[in-house]
Amino acid sequence: MRKVILEVSLSIILSFLIGYTTLILMGYDATKVFSIVIREGLSNPTYLMIRSTPLILTALAFSIPSLVGVFNIGGEGQFYLGALSSLLIAHITGNSLLSIITGMAAGGLLSVLIAVIKVKRGVNEVVTSIMFNWIIYFSLLYLISTYLFDPLMPYQSISVPKTARIDYLIVHIQIPAIFPIAVLTSLVMYFLLYHSALGYKMRVVGISPKAARYAGFDPESSIILSMLIGGAMGGLGGSLLILGHTHAIDSTMSGLYGMGFAGIGAGLLGRNNPIGIILSSIFLSMLIIGGEAAELRARVPTELADALIGMIVIVLSAPYIVRLVRVRR
Amino acid sequence: MIEDIVSLTSQALVAMIPLLLASVGEIVTERSGVVNIGLEGILILSAFISSLVTFSTNDPYLGLLAGALSGLSAGLLHGFISVYLRGDQIIAGVGFNTFAYGISILGLINTWGHHGASPMVSKVPFFGAPLYISPLLPVAFMIAIICWFWLFRTSSGLRLRACGEDPRAAEAMGVNVLRMRLLATIIGATLTGIGGAYIVVGWIGQFTRHISAGRGFIALAIVALSGWNPALAIAGSFIFGFFDAISLYLPVKIQLINPGLNLTSLSYIFRIIPYLGVLIIVSFFFRRGRAPRDLGRPYIKE
Repeated sequence: MRKVILEVSLSIILSFLIGYTTLILMGYDATKVFSIVIREGLSNPTYLMIRSTPLILTALAFSIPSLVGVFNIGGEGQFYLGALSSLLIAHITGNSLLSIITGMAAGGLLSVLIAVIKVKRGVNEVVTSIMFNWIIYFSLLYLISTYLFDPLMPYQSISVPKTARIDYLIVHIQIPAIFPIAVLTSLVMYFLLYHSALGYKMRVVGISPKAARYAGFDPESSIILSMLIGGAMGGLGGSLLILGHTHAIDSTMSGLYGMGFAGIGAGLLGRNNPIGIILSSIFLSMLIIGGEAAELRARVPTELADALIGMIVIVLSAPYIVRLVRVRR
Repeated sequence: MIEDIVSLTSQALVAMIPLLLASVGEIVTERSGVVNIGLEGILILSAFISSLVTFSTNDPYLGLLAGALSGLSAGLLHGFISVYLRGDQIIAGVGFNTFAYGISILGLINTWGHHGASPMVSKVPFFGAPLYISPLLPVAFMIAIICWFWLFRTSSGLRLRACGEDPRAAEAMGVNVLRMRLLATIIGATLTGIGGAYIVVGWIGQFTRHISAGRGFIALAIVALSGWNPALAIAGSFIFGFFDAISLYLPVKIQLINPGLNLTSLSYIFRIIPYLGVLIIVSFFFRRGRAPRDLGRPYIKE
C-alpha cells in the first residue's frame, strides 16, 4: 500500500514539475496557471462529478481487460458508440433504461469483436482497437453531419428527449444522478474482480495464462469476457454522458473526444483497482476542468491536461523509478 | 481512367513514405526485443518540431534533421524506460502518445496562436513530373533495403536479432543485450522522426492537429504483416499508402461528378478506408508465431 501511494504521488509530482518547466519555457506564469487549474478544478463539485462520471467508466473499460492481460485502448471507440446508440434509442423510445442497455451492448459487442480477432487470429489488440477508434470517429462525424443533425441547430445532433434525460438525484444539493450510478458500478466491479470466482479466474489468467490453463481455466474465454465487460463500461460511459449532461453530440465531437484516452490514464493512476479508479478519475477530471479554466483565464491551451496525464502515465510505466529515488535517499 | 490510376499511384508513393520509415524503424526496434507503440506520438512530435524549425529557418532539410533529432530523443527516453528501468513498454508508449499530442498542440497554439494548423512552411521539392516523387522516396527504399541487409546478412544484425529471440544466449555470445536494445530503440525512433518531419516538409506543407491520424498504428500493423522483415514492409507500406490515397482522392472525384454533395461530410466517410483496410487485411492475412520470441519483455541480467 505504501509503495502504491509512493508511486502514484511520485508520478504526479514529476509530471507537474515537467509541466511547470514547460510552461515557463513557453513564457507563461506557471505558478498562476497551476493555481488556476487546482482552484477552478475544485470550485464546482457538481460539475466535477459530472465530468468524473464518463472517466470512471472509460477507466474501467481499460482496467478490467488489463487485469486479464489484454490492452483495451479502444475505450475511445466504445465510448463513442455507446453515446451514439444511446442517443438513437433515447430519441426513438424516450426511455432512459432501454437507452443505457443499448449503449452498454454496443460498447460490449465492439470490444468482443476486438477480443475475438485477437484470440482467433492472433492480431494484437492495440492495432485493431485504434483502427476501430478511427472508423467509429469518422462514421459518427459523417452520420451527424448528414443524417442526424438538428435542423434548428445544425452544429449539433438531434437531442435526447426530456423523458429520457437523467437529472439530479437530490436537486437541492445538486448531485447529478449519473455520478452515483458510475460509483456504484465501480463498486460492483470491485466485488466482481476481487471477491468472486469469476474475477479470481480472470486475474489468474492475467498473471499467468499457463498456470490458468493448468488449473483448468480457459484463458480465451476469460479474455473475451473481460473485454465484453470492459467494452460495456466504455459504452455506459458514453451513454451516461449523453443522457445526463450533453443531451446531444456536437458536430465536431469535441464533447466526446479524448475521454477514452484519458480513461487509460485514470485506470493506470488508480492502479487498475475500481476503488482507486474513482479517486483517480476525480483527480484527473479536476485537471481537465482546471485546464479549461486556465484557457479562459491565462490563455493556456487545454491540451496542457493531456501533456500532464501523458507524463503521469510514462512515469507510472516504470515502477523502478521509485526504487531509484529510494536508493538515493 | 489511366489518368486516375497514375495520379492514385503517385499519391500512394507520397503517402507510403512515413509508413515505410516508421515500420522499418519499428522492425529494427522489435527485432531487438523492444516494442515501441509510441510511434504515433513520435510522428506528431517530430512533425511539430520540424514545422517549427522549418518555419523559423526556411530550410526544409533542417526541418528533417530536427525531426530526426526529436525522434532520437524520444527513442532515448523509451529505450531508457524499457531497457534500464524495466518499465512496461506498452504503457510507456501509450503515455508517450498522449504526452506528445498534448505538448505538440500546446506548442502549436503557443507559437502561432491557432488551434487547428500552422502556417505553410517551405517544402522539399518533388521531382519526376507528371508524377510527384519526393527525394525521400528513394532514401526510404534504400533505408529499408539496408536494414534488411543489416538484420539478415551481417553478424551485428544477427546479434541484434539474438537479443530479441533469446537474450540469455545473446549475452553468452558476448553481446551487451541492454546496450543493443537501447541502440535499436533509438534507431527505430529516429527513422520514425524523419517520417514525421516528412509529413510536414515533404508532403502536407504545414502542421495540423490530426497530422499523424493513426499512421503510427498503421505502421505497427505493417510490422506484423511483413513478418518483421524490412524488405516486405515496402510492399505493406505501398498498399496502405494506396488506401490513404484512395480515401483522399475519391471524395474529390465524386464531388466533381455530382457537385450537389457536401465535400466535408463526404470526405468523412471515405476517411474510413485506410483503417478499415488495415483491419480487414490484418484479420485475414496475419500469420501468428513469427514475432521475436522475447518481444516486450524486459531483460534482467543475473
